[in-house]
Amino acid sequence: MTTIPVCAMRARSLSSLPSAVVIVGSGIVGAATAYFLARRGIEVRLVEAVAPAAEATGAADGAVSVASKRPGPMMEAALAGVRLYRELESEGLFSGFFKTRSTFIVAASQAECAVLEAHSAALAGAGVRIDILQHEELRQRMPAVSGEAMMAVEVHDEGHAIGYQIVHRLLTAAGIVVHRGAVVEGFLPSSSGNGVRGVMTKHGPVEGDAVVVAAGTGSGALLGFSDVLTPRKGQLLVTERAPELNAGLPGAIMSGRYLLSKGSQNSGHGAPARGLGLVIDPLRTGQFLIGGTREDHGDRTLNDVEAVAKILRDAVALLPGLANVRLLRSFAGSRTAVADGLPLIGRVPGRDNLFVATGFEGDGICLGPLTGKVVADLVCGEAPSLDLRPFDPARFGACEVAA
Amino acid sequence: MADPDVLIVGAGPAGLAAAVELAASGVSVELAEQRGTIGGAIYRQPISAATPVPQAAAAKARWRSLSAAFDESGVRVRHATVFLGIEADGQVLLDDRRSGGVVCLRPKVVILATGAVETVHPRPGWHLAGVTTAGGLQVMMKERGRAPEGRVILAGNGPLLIAVAAQMARLGNPPVAVVEAGDPFRRPAAGLGLLAFPGLLREAAGYVLDVKRHRVPWLRGTRLAAIEPQGEGFAVTLEDARGTRRMEVDRVALHDGIRPNDFGLPQVGGRGEGPLVLHAGDCREALGAPAAGADGHRAAREAIRHLGADRTANSREGRDIARYRKAQALLARLFAPLPEALPFENLPDETLLCRCEGRTVGDLRALCEMPDRLTGREVKHNGRFAMGACQGRFCAANTAVLMARMRPEAPAPTPVDLTGRRWPARPVSIGALMQAAPENTDQDKEMTDEVHK
Repeated sequence: MTTIPVCAMRARSLSSLPSAVVIVGSGIVGAATAYFLARRGIEVRLVEAVAPAAEATGAADGAVSVASKRPGPMMEAALAGVRLYRELESEGLFSGFFKTRSTFIVAASQAECAVLEAHSAALAGAGVRIDILQHEELRQRMPAVSGEAMMAVEVHDEGHAIGYQIVHRLLTAAGIVVHRGAVVEGFLPSSSGNGVRGVMTKHGPVEGDAVVVAAGTGSGALLGFSDVLTPRKGQLLVTERAPELNAGLPGAIMSGRYLLSKGSQNSGHGAPARGLGLVIDPLRTGQFLIGGTREDHGDRTLNDVEAVAKILRDAVALLPGLANVRLLRSFAGSRTAVADGLPLIGRVPGRDNLFVATGFEGDGICLGPLTGKVVADLVCGEAPSLDLRPFDPARFGACEVAA
Repeated sequence: MADPDVLIVGAGPAGLAAAVELAASGVSVELAEQRGTIGGAIYRQPISAATPVPQAAAAKARWRSLSAAFDESGVRVRHATVFLGIEADGQVLLDDRRSGGVVCLRPKVVILATGAVETVHPRPGWHLAGVTTAGGLQVMMKERGRAPEGRVILAGNGPLLIAVAAQMARLGNPPVAVVEAGDPFRRPAAGLGLLAFPGLLREAAGYVLDVKRHRVPWLRGTRLAAIEPQGEGFAVTLEDARGTRRMEVDRVALHDGIRPNDFGLPQVGGRGEGPLVLHAGDCREALGAPAAGADGHRAAREAIRHLGADRTANSREGRDIARYRKAQALLARLFAPLPEALPFENLPDETLLCRCEGRTVGDLRALCEMPDRLTGREVKHNGRFAMGACQGRFCAANTAVLMARMRPEAPAPTPVDLTGRRWPARPVSIGALMQAAPENTDQDKEMTDEVHK
């Protein structure tokens, strides 16, 4: 087990640093924020309504990927997010929990090929290392993939991480004891100025010099962002171990079909009631993770056979060997989506020491550690290493904070 | 084919009794059974020409009348069919392993009568090939009409051990010993209580006499603490108040009681558009075959009431079940493990807990000893307990008990905290499941290809 090196416990002498910070929510964003603050020697009080990784983080597909991103702030963030995973893996923190692999976007029609070519040019233009695979090369690199595949773009240096494992790793490495079942009822206003001095929970007050809200969809009611945040359901599937087929797949497969539906960079408006984007990820265990849907209706915890069968038909069409593998589990969870498709990361407008970090929808695992790092920078009054202006909560104006 | 009003899962005593009662009331009913035959584990019939195992007259009579009534009912049985669960829109999913397809049904009521499973507590070596369960041996004897070969030791806790020993003796190969954690002879109060159940007492006395007649050592107040491979067989370690000794055997059969086989099954009640779910028989409360039959009738009447087909109330089953419950409680007291033979004591860290994922008692201990108090679900995820192909059937209950013992101050987790209630309740072929919902162009259109931003 890694503990935080003493040399990292620095800089307490700087008077601007908070000595204790309250974090609301122990999904991957809250856990990473806790870790990076603790690494600076700051005391963390992590309050959690249920348990770590109980919501979106525990029901995520785990892609640490830029493959589907178009140039823009989300691509920049994803690139930095993947880089940080690699760093933390080589530092030892994530060793054994981050599987480096490529993503293969596969096109199965002329129309998909055309879109994929344009997309791959955009990726390459942003400095992403890619290869285009066709004909014999495609068959050799991915012998298990169906003959329907006409072309694939291999996006290198990506990976996969399981959300609840990353959270566990971050919390144990920082030695944090989580206040479980501590539903937050509101903020404790500070005696002077616009600040807060902590939160009131079901179990009593928890005080700190700053508060970070990373509570997913629950952040909406706490911060007055309810009309900006919506829960979006995703269904995912896990197979039994199938080591041979797994070994025959050099990385995750992503269906190129989704690229055909345009304008998905800011897809919050007019999104379909139920979307499907197929990803087949070969896991370390020899199992496959297959996903997933994106739905604005229905019970967020349940799986329906119509969606599951459709996902599986699409998966088998690309990877025929899956038909002989057994499905072990289906699961569903809800992710927090923001109206304009970009997350909320930054200071809450009008509040000096209240911060928010949520709304990552399907990118939480990829961006969670990076977000924790930059929020820790913000809380400590330092310039964050990522340009956070596109994600500034102030773009939605002032809000009514619950007290 | 039209959906039945009631779907029963499991053709053991509870499922068959429910089917008979429902059919007699004119309710349309179908039965799904994972095996090719009916009767469940308790009334397992011999394969083809095998000689049947000698059975108690009462049990034989119960089966004769139940199977005759069921034949007469004309209820359709879907054989080789496994219940997968109820999906979000309320459809019941059945895996028809004969046709290789998944069937979606919309019954108004589902009666889950999936029986009981044997409990096997973890001990070093419990997972080795050649170590079976005593109930498994009994079912094998019923099917093949002969006893397992070689030196067999039966070990664990509860009346089934002595029943299996007697059946082995009658078939010509008595076990080399029966190792029992309790000692009925030292629980006189519970023994006296059994006088109120002469049938049970007669059956038990028959087993004990058979075991005595064949001079099978009945080692009461003793625990089989460890199993190691030795030569073609095993060396087992036995512990009692006097100390430790070893025995060499060819085969080990363990049994630490039975519990409902309800892993991952939907809870009792209705949900949205879905059917009313009822549990019946040992799947609801493990009280044995006669109680299961009575409980099948009870569940059938609850289904009939729900369908509005009949309102006749009859409390006879309720009284019968209460009596069986009392008898089982007495047996549990009679066989309560002695302090020197308690399960779960002093388990070495390397003892396997989860066979599928190779997780040990030490792995669990490490998670339970953290200053941060993990929930059952976090222990499941980070320890990979109950995440393997058996979906927690073999480890969820043991892991929950051990967690409670390792952290007596924390709220005790339930097996459901570890298994969840997600479908599929059993692993299912992707090739079969992908055909479950017919291709429907309208719906395919609705599900557009766009998730990733």
